[in-house]
Amino acid sequence: MSFPSWTLLSQSVLSGVFAGALYGLLGLGLGLSWGLLRTINLAHFAFAFLSAYICYQLAAVSHVDPLLTLAGIVPLMFALGAGLHWLTDRFRLTPFSSLLLTFGCMGIVESLMQTLWTADPRKLESHYAEMKFRLGPLYLPIPEVLTLLLAVAITVAVWAVLRFTDLGKALRASAEDAPVAAAFGINQRRNGFLLAGTCSAIAGIAGVCIALSSSISPSQMYAWVGVVFAAVMLGGLGSALGPLLAGIVIGVSEAVTMAVTSPSWAPLVSFTLLILILLLRPGRIR
Amino acid sequence: MLELQQVTLAYGEARAVWDVSLRVAKGELLCVVGPNGAGKTTLVNAVAGILKPMSGRIVMDGQDISLLAPHKFCEAGIALVPEGRRLFTGMTVAENLDIGSYLSAAKARRRETLDEVLALFPALKAKLPAPAGELSGGQQQMVAIGRALMARPRLLLLDEPSLGLSPLVVVDMFNAIRKISASGITIVLVEQNVSMAMRVSHRACVLELGRIVAEGSPDELLKRPEIRQAYLGV
Amino acid sequence: MSSRRVPAGLLVAGLLMGALPFLKLPAFYESFLYLALFWIVLATSWNILSGYAGYFSFGHGAFFGAGVYTSATLAAKFNWPFLWTLPVAALVAAAIGVGVGAVVFRVRGVRGEVFALLTLAVTFVLATIIGNTPIDGGPGVYLNAVPVPRLGPSPTSSLYLMMLAAAMLTLLVSWAIRHSRFGAGLFAIHDDEDAAEVMGVPTYRWKLAALAVSCALAGLAGGIHALFISYVTTAETFNLTVPLTVVLMSILGGTRHWAGPAIGTVAITCLLFAFTGGEYAVLGKGAIGLILVIGILFMPEGVMGFRAFARTPRGVMGSPPPRPSPSRGRVPADPPPPPGEGRGGGTSEVLLDVRGLSKSFRGLKALSNVSLQVRKGEILGLLGPNGSGKSTFINVVSGHYLPNGGEVWLDGRNIAGLPAHEIARAGIARTYQIPRPFAQMTVLDNVAIAAMYAGRGLPSLEAGRREAMQWLEFTHLAGKAHSLPGELNLHQRKFLELARALASRPKLVLLDEVLCGLTPTEIQFAVEQIRRIRDQGTTIVFVEHVMDAVMALTDRLVVFDQGVMLAEGAPREVMQSPAVMSAYLGMAHA
Repeated sequence: MSFPSWTLLSQSVLSGVFAGALYGLLGLGLGLSWGLLRTINLAHFAFAFLSAYICYQLAAVSHVDPLLTLAGIVPLMFALGAGLHWLTDRFRLTPFSSLLLTFGCMGIVESLMQTLWTADPRKLESHYAEMKFRLGPLYLPIPEVLTLLLAVAITVAVWAVLRFTDLGKALRASAEDAPVAAAFGINQRRNGFLLAGTCSAIAGIAGVCIALSSSISPSQMYAWVGVVFAAVMLGGLGSALGPLLAGIVIGVSEAVTMAVTSPSWAPLVSFTLLILILLLRPGRIR
Repeated sequence: MLELQQVTLAYGEARAVWDVSLRVAKGELLCVVGPNGAGKTTLVNAVAGILKPMSGRIVMDGQDISLLAPHKFCEAGIALVPEGRRLFTGMTVAENLDIGSYLSAAKARRRETLDEVLALFPALKAKLPAPAGELSGGQQQMVAIGRALMARPRLLLLDEPSLGLSPLVVVDMFNAIRKISASGITIVLVEQNVSMAMRVSHRACVLELGRIVAEGSPDELLKRPEIRQAYLGV
Repeated sequence: MSSRRVPAGLLVAGLLMGALPFLKLPAFYESFLYLALFWIVLATSWNILSGYAGYFSFGHGAFFGAGVYTSATLAAKFNWPFLWTLPVAALVAAAIGVGVGAVVFRVRGVRGEVFALLTLAVTFVLATIIGNTPIDGGPGVYLNAVPVPRLGPSPTSSLYLMMLAAAMLTLLVSWAIRHSRFGAGLFAIHDDEDAAEVMGVPTYRWKLAALAVSCALAGLAGGIHALFISYVTTAETFNLTVPLTVVLMSILGGTRHWAGPAIGTVAITCLLFAFTGGEYAVLGKGAIGLILVIGILFMPEGVMGFRAFARTPRGVMGSPPPRPSPSRGRVPADPPPPPGEGRGGGTSEVLLDVRGLSKSFRGLKALSNVSLQVRKGEILGLLGPNGSGKSTFINVVSGHYLPNGGEVWLDGRNIAGLPAHEIARAGIARTYQIPRPFAQMTVLDNVAIAAMYAGRGLPSLEAGRREAMQWLEFTHLAGKAHSLPGELNLHQRKFLELARALASRPKLVLLDEVLCGLTPTEIQFAVEQIRRIRDQGTTIVFVEHVMDAVMALTDRLVVFDQGVMLAEGAPREVMQSPAVMSAYLGMAHA
């Protein structure tokens, strides 16, 4: 096991940052759902991959520009997310029941995707994929840069809304003490739909980013679960900036591990972190 | 302004308030006293919309509000200062006050109302950016009252504001309550601290085991044995 | 006992099914039955921890996988005779489970979704470790060269017979636990772990035991399965199908019944085969997901759950209770008094000696250096305004909270800081101000838990229920013995709390606002009952606000204010002292 060169290491760190940005983008919606709506939404991953497949279908088969597919995907995912929220709200599901329910949804969507697109991995060959920047000896592929930019932009936007707008304050207040928030006129049902839809829309955007940068297959969905949960818990539930920063930390440590040892050890990093966080700070998850 | 007509309140089937009728006139400060478990907080929660009456009606300015959704009560002109304050501890003092003026009518006059609240509680000015959870008990109580005032209510509900506060702070707080009452806002004050409550109120009623056992002016009531009996059993 | 029918029935069914291979059925049936039995073992074993105790694990795949790889490694790489690898597989799986549990169960906040995610993470960690070390290393492990033990006419039928044996074992174990004191404890943990701990259930040990049994059985199934599929890879072994399917089957069938998961298994396996005609993978997962979704929304109790509620008179715990003794007119029978305790209004002998007890919550001093003594046989009243520390006192003495300082001496032993279940065994019982019964257990079983785990602790479920029945008669609840707590009104639920507190024949009972919310008539009745309890020699500490009752019942009064003891003595004197008046009314009273 020889220590890799500086160039290789830097490239690894860079790809870790890009990977982490995607973890953060996926984690954003998951964490907000969990922290502010008390719903653990595993279907988030299903929505992301569904979006990835729709993007693939429109771009590879119907030759629509991948980024344009967002125009259709975002509203669709928003509607799906709001619909799912309606279910959890109407049946008054506890966080745990929502975990089970959305686990089931993952299975349904996976079957759907496998029926429509088979289990073979699909790769979206877009003109974006060929473009890269060069920064000295380092390569920055355009799809990944795009992902990073989108992740940062959306994260900052969400953070700003939560921090500065009345809607954001209302969401935070409702999450902390629902009856008192209602006593000051906050309509939680309506806000809940808005938030749930937005989280799923963000998942949809993440899905398009996934389609742009890597090949997709239905069962791949599950590989993201552990690492994104780790990012959410490390970053803090209900936090906007947390998952992104945590995701990048995780991404970089994974990448460095892969460069120094071998790729198959990489999952150990995120899952061990997840276990440690769950043991040391379970109180954050309430 | 506010009228309770034979209101019975329960948590599940644990009846907390039995067939209570009460009237509060505009601009009045009514205090509701009684020992623990008498049903005072339950009563306040019903008027604030947190608890739905099992039977009876709650009428505010002629409008029957008993069955409205919880988030409509603030629109009806009612603001709550909950027992134990229940601030949004994860948010700053300023944000807590902003939540108070969430509704559009109050929001339009937010700046103006904030100035009024800070005039009433000058100590809060320096604490605006601080997380609400880091304030002392007395300061938190000020924020809780301020939050309710930001809604520009016609009726203010105060639930045991002196709970857990030291005597000096309590005096200051009741002075503030006096000023609020003087500005024309109708107040229903629930208190365990009988003496302070009686000093600021126009009218009082004594609740024991969910029923009103005495009602009248504070001076009258202090002379009667019901209060002693209810609290001390002797 | 009539339900000896069940194990006998299982054995007969097992024998019958064991004869199948010798009937020369087409291999398809053996495979199908093998799979059904395989899932029965996994789902039923999962249910022992997750269904009974409520700790939903998403990591059953990890322990199953541990069993798979243990057997595979021992048989293929070390040439062990296959049957000997099976007990080792079970042991290894159990050891890993207990290792994880020993750490995880110590952490207080790990419940519900946190535990589920944690176990999921453990699965992936284990998979990665196995995949990267010589155990598997990547290419998988081949078992084609391993000889299949000759139990049946063909290799498939031998494996079928092995899995049949495992299934019978699992079902028997599940049934036995369900009808034992251990199982009752697990159900109590499921409904309210903190209350169970305070009632004397050693929650940490019990959870570990349930986990160990669950993992061992999963490991056993894994070991057998390794040989069935004969080529083992980490991807196939540790993927999410196992946890997902196991959860679904148990929820569908009903997690509170010993055969629930098995029923769910049979239903799902048949459904899948009917639907997709053997083509498991593609639509199968979707169908499973859909069924799970519908199950969560509309049938959270599962199939068996429905049935159990439809047959309410028999209760949820299966076998019929002991016949209650006929009631003697309108005066309910008094249970025999604890030996050696006389009647009376308080002797001078000290039962509980509290010295310098303190408790703070995040800087707020709820109790400050409180010292008081409770005398044997007396009724001591604890009073004080809101927030004065009365409930905290009860919570600390009963072990619900740990004190920050001070000692609590009971019978020559300092019990301060002991885990709550040991305090319960030492003879202290309490009621909760807002009743906290075990919501999914019958009234009878709620009281039986206390009888089995607190105080001297009766050793069996039958003995516990017999004792419980006596106390239900004492509190006029005998008629509701087989109802669920949700069907009781407030008054009855308060008395259930009381019966639970008394069933263990404690030395000291702490009553926390037992009268609040009751009507005057109900209060009258309660006061009489409390008197009768004292008359039998039980010492009572009594937090209350209903002043009439306090004056009528208490021998001595202690008043708290802001965490400090303000006054102590005879009731009338204490309530008329200036300090107390000032604390309550906020002024010096003339």
